[in-house]
Amino acid sequence: MDFSFSEEQAVLRETIIRFALKEINPLVEGDHFAREAWAKCGEMQLMGLPFSEEHGGCGVDFLSTALGIYALGYACRDAGLVHAVVTQILCGLQIRQFGTEEQKKKYLPDLCSGRRIFAQAITEAGSGSDALAMRTQARWEGGAFLLNGSKMFISNGPLADVVIVFAVTNPEARTLGGISCLIVEKEFPGFERCRAMEKMGLKSLQNGELVFEDTPVPAENLLGREGQGAIIFNESMEWERSLLPASHLGTLERIFETCARHARERNAFGQPIGKFQSVAHKIAEMKMNLELGKLILFKSASMKEQKKRAPLEASIGKLFISESLKKACLDAVQIHGGYGYMCEYGIERDLRDSIASTIYSGTSEVQKNIIARLIGL
Amino acid sequence: MAFRDVIRSFIVSDLMGGGAGEPPKDSDLLIEEGIIDSFGIMALLGFLEEKFAIHISGDELLPENFASIESISSLVDRKTELRTEA
Repeated sequence: MDFSFSEEQAVLRETIIRFALKEINPLVEGDHFAREAWAKCGEMQLMGLPFSEEHGGCGVDFLSTALGIYALGYACRDAGLVHAVVTQILCGLQIRQFGTEEQKKKYLPDLCSGRRIFAQAITEAGSGSDALAMRTQARWEGGAFLLNGSKMFISNGPLADVVIVFAVTNPEARTLGGISCLIVEKEFPGFERCRAMEKMGLKSLQNGELVFEDTPVPAENLLGREGQGAIIFNESMEWERSLLPASHLGTLERIFETCARHARERNAFGQPIGKFQSVAHKIAEMKMNLELGKLILFKSASMKEQKKRAPLEASIGKLFISESLKKACLDAVQIHGGYGYMCEYGIERDLRDSIASTIYSGTSEVQKNIIARLIGL
Repeated sequence: MAFRDVIRSFIVSDLMGGGAGEPPKDSDLLIEEGIIDSFGIMALLGFLEEKFAIHISGDELLPENFASIESISSLVDRKTELRTEA
């Protein structure tokens, strides 16, 4: 068991950190989606990390992709942009594993370069955690799937050029055989992208409702086989619960470093505040969770790289890292006192951003349900 | 123990809560009868791949391959035969 990075992985990490600090952070002022920063991420091939050079990607392995996202989460101040990049990669992973050669050739190059923005649409107004209880339907009629329904809170949705939509294609079948995946392009008739919704955090990430009214989707835009949607969803969740926590772990590392530095430099009652146990223990806990988070994250990413199933490891990692991040952000505000509460220092923004990490991709409560089921309870 | 008995034993112990009910028969429709749901598929896939040292690829992740103990067993048969030939 080797816990060190390879030379290539260390270079990848350093390169992405340098890139984010120098090229991205100056472009991500405010709460809006920074198109220019997105384009730069595309030029840097961040969205193309795990995809083959043939399809416009970098061809790095999944563990290195997770390391790259970890580096981006560490250095990039805009967690919403990082989330948008990860969403793009996740859509590509679905197309790579389940798509036809034609679909890969058609979509992956634009996905890798960021020329087109991708989204995946699962959640609906009436089905969040119970994702497969969806009502959006696609019925085969006149040589195409006619898509009807709406999706809610979709990341990248209001900007999306291409959306992977999960819909019921066989209402008679149970969820395992009755749901399919369709690739919908923004030009398809009857497809409307609604405006981005205001959120508590991750403000630059564009989330919104997508509406489909008799939207015709040609047969060649079926992703995978008809009825394979629930299985694609499960596969996708394993990748998602490895890559999103990778970005959170990077943020946790940055917060730990910021707090440790502050605790050494800030004095009160004649000594650095880090000398007070109430402060030191909070920072020690951040370090402990950071190191433990690395172990479970790199384990699940390594298992995925070896083409193994990792639903248990991915759920444990997602739960542990997101809850650790939220706790660290709260503690960081407390450690920084009044400065932590002021917007200009960015710590309160990290806290607002972190809260969503325990909700999307399955809430912490759902992760515990999954873990319980996977250990046979 | 034959593949199908190993698979049945896992389904009873891990997906049916320890065997309070009647064990499913080879041809019982696991998905249609609600014995396996989307969580169950995840657990079953991990079990099959580890127990039989096989890899089930994206093309094979089809509901019909997991419809019954019979069909799961056929899938494992095919995969282990391929491994032996290789």
